[in-house]
Amino acid sequence: MAGGSNASGTVFLKACECITPFGQSGETLAALLRGERAMQLRPVLGREGGDLVPIALLAGRALDETAPPSWLEHVRTLLAPVNDAGWGTARKPVFVTSSNFGAGSMHAFRRSGDEAHMKYGALVNCVEWLRKELGWQENVAIFSHACVSAHLGLLQASRQVEAGLVDEALVFSFDFLSPFVSGGFHALKILNADFPAPYMNRATGSIGLGDGAGYAVLSRAKQDFNISAQSMYNEMHHFTANQPDGAGFEACLAPVAAQVAGRRVWLKGHGTGTLDAGRMESNAFGKVFPGSPLVGWKGSLGHTLGSCGLVELAIAHAAIRHGRTPGTIGSGAPTFTPDVALESFANDKFDGVICASNAFGGAHAALLLSHA
Amino acid sequence: MLERFIQNICTDDAAIEALAETRERLKGAFAPGATRRMTQLGMVVGSALNKVAPAAEDTLVYASTFAESRSLEAYLDSFPSASPTLFQTSIHPSGAQQALIGRQRSLGEVFSHSGTGQMPAQSMLTALLAPAPRVILCGGEERGGWLVNHYSAQDRTFGYALSLTREPGPAPIGRLALVPSDESGSMAQSEWFDVLHHRRSFDGVIALGWRLQLSWS
Repeated sequence: MAGGSNASGTVFLKACECITPFGQSGETLAALLRGERAMQLRPVLGREGGDLVPIALLAGRALDETAPPSWLEHVRTLLAPVNDAGWGTARKPVFVTSSNFGAGSMHAFRRSGDEAHMKYGALVNCVEWLRKELGWQENVAIFSHACVSAHLGLLQASRQVEAGLVDEALVFSFDFLSPFVSGGFHALKILNADFPAPYMNRATGSIGLGDGAGYAVLSRAKQDFNISAQSMYNEMHHFTANQPDGAGFEACLAPVAAQVAGRRVWLKGHGTGTLDAGRMESNAFGKVFPGSPLVGWKGSLGHTLGSCGLVELAIAHAAIRHGRTPGTIGSGAPTFTPDVALESFANDKFDGVICASNAFGGAHAALLLSHA
Repeated sequence: MLERFIQNICTDDAAIEALAETRERLKGAFAPGATRRMTQLGMVVGSALNKVAPAAEDTLVYASTFAESRSLEAYLDSFPSASPTLFQTSIHPSGAQQALIGRQRSLGEVFSHSGTGQMPAQSMLTALLAPAPRVILCGGEERGGWLVNHYSAQDRTFGYALSLTREPGPAPIGRLALVPSDESGSMAQSEWFDVLHHRRSFDGVIALGWRLQLSWS
């Protein structure tokens, strides 16, 4: 049974932005519409070498972590338009979500012995450092659930907003790469020299990884867009595999479809480039939302892990405002289902977009972004 | 009123128990051989979860400040030949997932919290705002090794799980409520565990803006 959320549509998106190796959402959208790929082949262990794998890093960043972390200034720049005084108070909570937080700093400490890294290492220490750097007060909640982390923050923030417990909520999500995470995915044998081709029916699957961060400010005050139909489902079938019949994908999407109720939507899928999950995800979308075009952008940006739900929400938000949706970059025919959109398309005839993410443990999350 | 009624609770104070001792003590709570692959946190949280028996329609709220510290240490030490198994088990919320995957127990919503002094209140708030009739609130920590010296792991092992319902039912064992407050406070995960483990009643500010009222029948 999937969990549902704010069906009343009273949670509005006041602001939403992201940063990827292409820049913020406008620059990222433009690059995706041009079909550009952010990932490059880089050594999986950074300065320690190893196999070449597809990785996308923010400008000026290396895979090996610095002390303080090199991503801080990118975060400051990203949050500058909304990081006014008052976040982290009782009425303006912050929800920080990530999969890896400062894990790169712990890896750097363990490999170098430099104690300076540990200030930013453990999850809670990383967020506490960040909280102070960004001037937030104490009301900062942390969620970490692998690659659906951002959706958890959005759902709980929505509930607090909808219940009237808070005036506005800032949901911030980030994941910056390091050998800690690239080494882990490489060990799982899903990060290799092949660039990802989401939803493409080919012989072997593969993923790529990317730096990413994003935020959303949620409010009860009416804005142009709202978030609704938030849904979650956790298979608890296997740590790294889904139920073979794909039932978990459908269980998450079915309640969303019920709330979409006849509106015309396009679909922003998870689409990492793995074969089994890509097949099951695209089949589930085809069954629950027949005829709706499905796109995935991790073939360009790489998988931004716990932040992907917010990073890709910000791009989808920009795409709707721009009127054009990027296609599934890096993919090609044959695709698992005919609804996979390889090329960009005009989205002005659609009522909204379903944004979905999936994670280890068979975790699934989805939401509807639409005009208010 | 943000309140729920406690229908069931299980706590496990493993303190400084060694991993092998926990494995031996709790092996009966899991499928044969399963504990060989489980973390200490996975075992203490998992055995507590088994006793409150999560159901498909429940929301599960899991809270851990440091999560799988031992796996994290071992994973970091596995470089440059990174261990895929340790990578998996070091990822939040592995502590709750281990038992649930073992039982093939699918759920709708699973919220996985981390944090320090605000986390108990925030995880309670997540539980109290969930629309599900029954919520499982669980969490725990495991005693770390070298990470303890960097305030990056807990120095004791414990786990807990409570089942919380909207309606009191015929025999609730307690009541948990959050009341808005103008004051600020904090409560560490270990303090929250001790309150639960000793079934202490509590009325005080535990986070910025929130007072906890906990009473036992």
